[in-house]
Amino acid sequence: MSAETPTATATATYRLELHDIVKSYGGVRAIRHADFAIKPGTVHALVGENGAGKSTLIKIIAGAEIPDAGTIAFDGAVTTIGSTSDSIALGVQTVYQEPQLFPELSVAENVFVGRELKKGGRVDWKAEADQIHGLLDTVGLPDRIATMPVGTLSIAEQQQVSIAKALAGDASVLILDEPSAILTDSEIEVLFTVIRRLTATGVSVIYISHRLDELFVIADEVTVMRDGETITTRPIGELSVREIAELMVGGVLAESRPKGAGTSGETVLELTNLTRAGKFENISFAVRAGEIVGLYGLVGSGAGDIAGVVYGMDKATSGTMRLSGEDVVVKRPSQAKKIGIRLLPANRSAQGSFSFQSISLNIVVGELGKLSRIPGWVSGRAQQSIARDFIKRLAVKTPSEKQPISAMSGGNAQKVVLARQLVETPKLLVLAEPTQGVDVGAKEEIHRIISNLADDGSAVLVVTSDLGEVLRISDRILVVRAGEIAAEFTPQATQVEILAAAAGDQTSETLS
Amino acid sequence: MTIDERTRPAPASPPRGSGSATAKRILPLPVTGQEFVLIGVIVVLWVLLGIFTPAFLTANSIQPLLVSVAPIALIGVGMTFIIITAGIDVSVGGAIMLCAVVVAKTMVSVDIPLIGAVALAVALGLVLGLVNGVLIAYGRVAAIIITFGTANLFQFFALRVFGSSTVNGIPSTLEVFGRGEAGRTLGVPNSFAIMIVIAAVAWWYLRHAAGGRHLFAIGGNTNAARLVGIKVQPRVMLAYGLTGALVGLGACFILASGTATLDQSVGAGKELQVIAAVVIGGTSILGGRGSVIGTVLGAILVQTVTSGVTQLGWPSQLANLFVGIFIIIAVGTDLLRERARRKA
Repeated sequence: MSAETPTATATATYRLELHDIVKSYGGVRAIRHADFAIKPGTVHALVGENGAGKSTLIKIIAGAEIPDAGTIAFDGAVTTIGSTSDSIALGVQTVYQEPQLFPELSVAENVFVGRELKKGGRVDWKAEADQIHGLLDTVGLPDRIATMPVGTLSIAEQQQVSIAKALAGDASVLILDEPSAILTDSEIEVLFTVIRRLTATGVSVIYISHRLDELFVIADEVTVMRDGETITTRPIGELSVREIAELMVGGVLAESRPKGAGTSGETVLELTNLTRAGKFENISFAVRAGEIVGLYGLVGSGAGDIAGVVYGMDKATSGTMRLSGEDVVVKRPSQAKKIGIRLLPANRSAQGSFSFQSISLNIVVGELGKLSRIPGWVSGRAQQSIARDFIKRLAVKTPSEKQPISAMSGGNAQKVVLARQLVETPKLLVLAEPTQGVDVGAKEEIHRIISNLADDGSAVLVVTSDLGEVLRISDRILVVRAGEIAAEFTPQATQVEILAAAAGDQTSETLS
Repeated sequence: MTIDERTRPAPASPPRGSGSATAKRILPLPVTGQEFVLIGVIVVLWVLLGIFTPAFLTANSIQPLLVSVAPIALIGVGMTFIIITAGIDVSVGGAIMLCAVVVAKTMVSVDIPLIGAVALAVALGLVLGLVNGVLIAYGRVAAIIITFGTANLFQFFALRVFGSSTVNGIPSTLEVFGRGEAGRTLGVPNSFAIMIVIAAVAWWYLRHAAGGRHLFAIGGNTNAARLVGIKVQPRVMLAYGLTGALVGLGACFILASGTATLDQSVGAGKELQVIAAVVIGGTSILGGRGSVIGTVLGAILVQTVTSGVTQLGWPSQLANLFVGIFIIIAVGTDLLRERARRKA
């Protein structure tokens, strides 16, 4: 888009180059060593598991983080990116997964906000209107949309508006952060058309995605990251989905639960053709008492939505759910609780904890009515003894049960929220991303707690996008892709097989 | 809007320059549906009041009504800026009280000219507004909490200035803003005319200046506003500063429309009248949407109801009932619209 593009491409091989990048947060190395280079007018995919260092690398390019070591070159000239405005000045624009737009303002205003075209102290609406048509045309939106408030558009359209906004800033490098995760197949087609149109004009696109199959449609090159390092950069044609998955996970083998655990209990949860329109379709599976079933899916796969319906946070549009042989329609979480279902929510700060309240209150809050024989009376002593019992059982590290939960580390806070679900041994425990943002030691302990709980007879459904986790704690693994169960595995499956199935490798489906 | 319409290969692109036809329409229409409804309600009320109390539609009744609208609408202009950024200021009642008493006492003890009195009131109001603005923008504490706190502080200082008695013998320096003959030009109250001029400038700024549009962006999505390089904190601070300055001028209007005696009830409940005018005028309490025209109409509606209830000889608390109902209708439709949009 920028005027100097033709001369620049003639002299430099790469639009943007990063060499020997290192970045630590405190003592944690987010990036051990990264090299990354993108040519003008190409799509360069960046892939890796959660925590591999992709987002840190992107933040460094966008100027939101400053590397500890390494060099950055733009069009062959070494430069420093010390802030987001440095990065924007170089022509780097980022489109985040959640559109960063202003719902009440019109599409045209959103595109130009912050860099308004001005004439005599006022915004030059006519000049903006003249420019908006070309921009909307490029991103595949019709002209008449220019005057509509952004809040009335679909998510896909909002994403296109975000891209138009990036282009208005004369982008020469466009970073798309998991753009396809929130889109339907036909919407992805539109996105790809837009990307091809941009690269044809010389824009370089850095494309981050978990859906490996689509890289073969859109990317020219792919860089794989693992454990904070860039493992390899190859033309996409040299690799297969399976090979990329292998590079992403390395050769790591996960320990798993003892073989045959939890296969003999009676069926507790049984879903038949459960559907929630737009989220998932015809989901059928069962969980037995004492069994841990892992539901693995990438962002946007619909796995989390299934858990939401089981716990009554959302309604199924069709299909049936049976609990211990009885048909149930769970309309709200309080009802789910009554029939013996407990949920450990994924977003624990928003959905799981009462920040300023004590650990002990956070543990017993769901069972306040049962703490005393006198209705309405909460026995402080009972609360204390239950809390102390759980602090011991779950090895929560805290000086006292009176500490507020907000003062605790992520792993310990998660144990407290987990403890709440265990005050009464649940019939069915649903865990969503139980160890997200939790350190390795606490992760092990939480896995042990979940495993013990199943051994005590609870049916456990774990929804996770952590590959190591699903292999480690599940007795059975169901892979969810695009709202359907794409494959079923035993814990003896490899990470590669599961990732390939979740990311859309058609050949792996036959394995199930 | 379906996806299919757009996946189709685009027809030959429209000739460039055809954009000018839609140039103005990047913005919503200057007067919104809600504002037409407000105008309609006001007209219906005036006609009904004119029928039932023939004295209503006379200059003797309308002029005092406009005088009472002026300070509410004027401060409402500032409050519109604040609420558009998703903030609120409940301290304007206390700020009016402090500005009014300081100016009144000064006029009683020193012989200052009109311009001096106005400058003193505006400067003091500006300082009070900036105190709110700095705490909210840079201290990052919820606006309602901060201004609730400063409301009490302002009242405390105002009561200290009052001492134990009312302020008596206020000279007629400010009569140019007042109810009397000196306060009118061609039959229109000067305070109302000044308010209209300031509101018009504010309307233009919010609608056509980049700085004004940024206020809408801040209220719509603060984080995104920061990402596109809008200086969020100074903008928010200035919105409170502006409101403070308008509180100063509004306090002069209120002084001028009263008697030579000022008592401790000045400013009481004014914050609620101002917020009522803004909200009834269609400015979203959630931020990101609003208009000065609506606020002026809202202020006229609120004062019409108050004055109408008095003139009909009804119990005055009925005015609270009607204003309350209007607020609930206005906020209710706003929230319902927002909810419907989230679901879609």
